[in-house]
Amino acid sequence: MEIIEYWRKLPKLVRVVIGRLLVLVPQMLGVTLVTFLLIRLLPGDPALLLLGNMATPESIAALQDRLGLNLPIWSQFFVYLRNLSQGDLGTSIFTSNPVLVDLLERAPATLELITFAIIFATILGVGLAILSVIKPRTVFDWGSRVYALAAGALPDFWVALLLIYFVYYLLRLAPAPFGRIDAFLTAPPFVTGFYTIDSLLSGNFAVFKSSVGRLFLPVLTITIVNAGALMKMTQSIFADILKSDFIHHGRASGLPTKVIVRYALRNSTPPVITLIGFFMGFLIGAAVLVETIFAWGGLGQYAVQAVSNSDYPALQGFVLVASGFVLLVYLVVDILYEIADPRIQV
Amino acid sequence: MSVQLPHRQNSIFVLLHHSLLVRFFLRRPGALIGLLLLFLQFTAILFAAHLTTYSPTEAKPLESLLPPSGAHWLGTDVYGMDIFARIVYATRINLLISISAVIVGFIGGVPLGLFIGYYRGIISTILMRLLDFIQSFPVFVLGMALVSVLGQNIYNVSFVLAILFMPVFARLTRAEVLSLRERPFVSAARCSGASDSSIMFKHILPNAVTSALIQVSISIGMAILLTAGLSFIGAGVRMPTPEWGLMVSVGAQQMILGVWWVSLFPGLAIVLSVLSFALLGDAMRDLYDPTKREHRGMNHG
Repeated sequence: MEIIEYWRKLPKLVRVVIGRLLVLVPQMLGVTLVTFLLIRLLPGDPALLLLGNMATPESIAALQDRLGLNLPIWSQFFVYLRNLSQGDLGTSIFTSNPVLVDLLERAPATLELITFAIIFATILGVGLAILSVIKPRTVFDWGSRVYALAAGALPDFWVALLLIYFVYYLLRLAPAPFGRIDAFLTAPPFVTGFYTIDSLLSGNFAVFKSSVGRLFLPVLTITIVNAGALMKMTQSIFADILKSDFIHHGRASGLPTKVIVRYALRNSTPPVITLIGFFMGFLIGAAVLVETIFAWGGLGQYAVQAVSNSDYPALQGFVLVASGFVLLVYLVVDILYEIADPRIQV
Repeated sequence: MSVQLPHRQNSIFVLLHHSLLVRFFLRRPGALIGLLLLFLQFTAILFAAHLTTYSPTEAKPLESLLPPSGAHWLGTDVYGMDIFARIVYATRINLLISISAVIVGFIGGVPLGLFIGYYRGIISTILMRLLDFIQSFPVFVLGMALVSVLGQNIYNVSFVLAILFMPVFARLTRAEVLSLRERPFVSAARCSGASDSSIMFKHILPNAVTSALIQVSISIGMAILLTAGLSFIGAGVRMPTPEWGLMVSVGAQQMILGVWWVSLFPGLAIVLSVLSFALLGDAMRDLYDPTKREHRGMNHG
């Protein structure tokens, strides 16, 4: 009983965070199980496949031993977990670095891309949704409808190529679509891993200008393709709120439309936060194609290289990190939601 | 010759019977455009050999990267293959992969959802959590990994997409079943001695399947996008198979050099194809379930 008393006395924030963290444990276990089974799906000897063409009988035997391939499948899973807990995600066949090192090196590039993309997609998507609610049956409303429909049908890799053709080749407005900064510039000293922020911190404006320029096209691509869906979902959240009792009550009491719209918008903040979080998780998958086209050097491009080189340890590591990232984003979103909405109890 | 129609309210069959369907499509330009695009695609599938004289897979190095002209309507790619011919033949591959994947996902997912929704026990809870979990993976990442592990051919792409779509249909069906199983007609059936399987498949399923059916068309569009994306990064079908995403990727290198036609046209085919299924999906939703029609803006007055 004392424990329950103690639990109740904890501040709400702490309770929310602990509750969510407890859910995260089985989820992460599930993720590791899936990535583990992914390699077990491979027909043939995983050791041979993991080692690739450079395999020798001795190295195969050594890896079989390390992976515990002679053990029953559950013991193998525990061996895999033990390796993971020691930060051992295997060694990439292609780069011959530890996968963890490769992934950590490339993560900031992807995070920078996704962060800017989510900011602009939110401004465009949520902005258009608000406009279509505030000014129904106007050009915004109609335009947003057509845009949502069209954007849902656009393949991001194709949009990226069209933008390269128009903005880079024809108009010469954007720098060449290769990498995060000009080839003759050196990366700013590592602080956050975001080139835009690090270059400002070190006062290197040439690098800042270059990195912003390089971000322009990939961020624009992701924004164009995804803001439509974000807008559509935000609109349906608004529509649900507008149908709720307190809005009916307000309208019956004779509140002006302007005030009602303002109430509705304020009350739709928590679900919109969830939506944006969901999108952030979605983008780590969507960024794969865009990164490849712009030679971004991030996680997505690494994964594509892994696929084309049959680099299974790298692929396994990427799936693990990407899924872990998504779970983490959902966790943060859930916590934010519960803090933003006082009605929800843990 | 008469066809036995199932007697259900709001059923598409009843509407068809009263030729309301025709009026429905006339009132919705979007649905009409979707239908027209679908018709175009089926024409391409059935009469590919009559639409073009070029082979979709034969490389002609001397005719590499020709711009659109009278001889090659949409130009040629770097291998000298006619782009129009490849787009037409690719319709078969793309629609075969996407439609079969969604159908398999539907056939697997709907009974699963029915089962999970009807029986409420520990197994159902675990299965439901499992579905939640699969859906929490980034779809494209999981698809990419699975296809590359299983082997890159159209059957595996289709199979993997089916796995990815199964949870979608299962969840939709489950949500419907959960509310239906408490309804009086289910109790009535149970009282009159109907078995579990009879209640599930004869009484609940016909009423629960609507929302999953509506999702079919939209899912086909999503499957087309995923297939194209997988092929684009080299985790889908391989050259020289004509496939839209692969065709865009063949032209990707030249886009920077100003050769626009190799990637533009197959991408346009993807957009129109996905659009047709999205429009038809919207129309199906309006037709089946008018209450779920999008409510937009404020009600003035």
